[in-house]
Amino acid sequence: MSKWFLFLIPLVLTSAMAAPVELKINLRIGDQPLQFGQTYQTPQGQRYQINMVKFYISEVALVRPDGREVVVDGLVLADFKRDAPTQGVSVMRMEVPPGEYRGIRFNVGVPRELNHLDATTQQMPLGINSGMFWAWNPGYIFYRLEGTALLPDGNQGWVIHMGTDSFRLPVRIHDLQTRRVRIHIPPSGGTITLNLDLAAAFQPGPGGAFLDWSRPELRQLHGLSPQTRLIMSVVYFNMSNAFSLAQ
Amino acid sequence: MLMHLLTLTVVMAALIGAVLAATHHPAVPIPPDNPQTPAKIELGRKLFFDQRLSADLTISCASCHKPEFAFSDGGNAVSTGVGGRRGTRNTPTLTNVGFRQGLFWEGRSTRLELQAVGPLTARIEMDMQPEVLAQRLEAIPEYARAFREVFGEAPTLKTTTFALAAFQRTLLSYNSPFDRFQAGDDLAMSEAALRGMEVFFAESGDCFHCHVGSEFTDDVPRNNALYTVYQDLGLALATGLDEDVGKFKTPTLRNIELTAPYMHDGSIKTLREVVEHYNRGGEPNLNSDVLMRPLGLSEQQIDDLVEFLKSLTDRSFTTNPAFQPPR
Repeated sequence: MSKWFLFLIPLVLTSAMAAPVELKINLRIGDQPLQFGQTYQTPQGQRYQINMVKFYISEVALVRPDGREVVVDGLVLADFKRDAPTQGVSVMRMEVPPGEYRGIRFNVGVPRELNHLDATTQQMPLGINSGMFWAWNPGYIFYRLEGTALLPDGNQGWVIHMGTDSFRLPVRIHDLQTRRVRIHIPPSGGTITLNLDLAAAFQPGPGGAFLDWSRPELRQLHGLSPQTRLIMSVVYFNMSNAFSLAQ
Repeated sequence: MLMHLLTLTVVMAALIGAVLAATHHPAVPIPPDNPQTPAKIELGRKLFFDQRLSADLTISCASCHKPEFAFSDGGNAVSTGVGGRRGTRNTPTLTNVGFRQGLFWEGRSTRLELQAVGPLTARIEMDMQPEVLAQRLEAIPEYARAFREVFGEAPTLKTTTFALAAFQRTLLSYNSPFDRFQAGDDLAMSEAALRGMEVFFAESGDCFHCHVGSEFTDDVPRNNALYTVYQDLGLALATGLDEDVGKFKTPTLRNIELTAPYMHDGSIKTLREVVEHYNRGGEPNLNSDVLMRPLGLSEQQIDDLVEFLKSLTDRSFTTNPAFQPPR
């Protein structure tokens, strides 16, 4: 046996240690699957439809039982098309060591070091053609929720565009103590499926503040104006708790 | 005979001045990744005037950037996008826009190629999705062919913005009475405008510290004490900093006569009212620019300043066939 074969052993072992994992997402309204075009109702009684859901996922890591992390490289744009499925949508493929994990964490957004590069030079899922570049304030829209509010005096479109480095959304679905969160990755690979409850965005915040689409200034949330600052923060914190592990 | 000679002299002076003015301006910076070509500029011009670039086929770039108003919105305080959706800010002129170092009223966009993404995709402006735009342009044989000739690929949002940027970099205006005066035509400006120029460039008027150089702007966001409490936070919307509240980029004054109303929200209707605002020193504001203070200008000086500002109007810019819709 020639010595060069010895160099293959680590490669083979590394390959055997990495299992393919697919990250999938179910879009939900409460505990029901989202259907684009269907009418839903906020806790305050305003009726709405959702027309667009797009967001970046980056800085992904699986959390081991001892708290150490397996960091996964890559950035993806989860783009839910209006005429496409909303359940079990594959958004990312990764390679991780098989075994037991106590959770997953990631950010909804674009890492700072990528967020401020010249968008004309970046490729998909970044760059101008992503439809996520924020022209007036260099950087990307981290997530876009858009829909229609069915108000008593007529339908009105609404948008939630969250971006800027201070609004990168940390999602932390891990629990070392109670072991409520368990992810088993067999050597053959597996799937991690998350639920994203979009209705969470419309829950009231401190003092009962809520996204009231009868107020025209709240139909476009994409900046820190005096009228929208509070609601931006409410939506931000709501969305950080909107993801959960599907059972 | 003497009158004829005098007339001939004036005409010759004007022509010489125009030629000098037209040939003595700096070259527009061209980004290495988007070189100018005649075909690209022509494609950009077609796109600029094409309403098919908006979601409901009703709005083009030129709907708000009208050539006859130096590519501003002709008397509208704010502009109206698809579906009658109204914006919150005054449409800026595109005069010499290729020289602007920061775009939008906050001045935060670094190049025309990126800036164009804003109006094309903003819900209150043209409301286009990248894939819809690409499919729509690809379905128009003229565009499908032109994009391949210019960029070697099918239309995309990116190549659309690159073509628009190329066209916008041709929008040069250096043939105003002021330019002709600068070029040696002593008769190009009126007496009142000449007096106003003296005020403009003196500490008494103090206009030139911000409206600086041949572009009449320093491209810096400043708080000009328009309000004590700003509904639109300006630069602070992007930075989140208290000290940036109410800061908006200094606009160029070239063709300012044609771009009424004024200020970031179009709240001041006339040039005279603008000058009166600065003469008063503006409203009390913690972020007010250090240069804002009561100036003590006389009514005559205010009138003269207005006349000087009007001398920055370049009618050859607004009537240039190269800047009109393609036939």
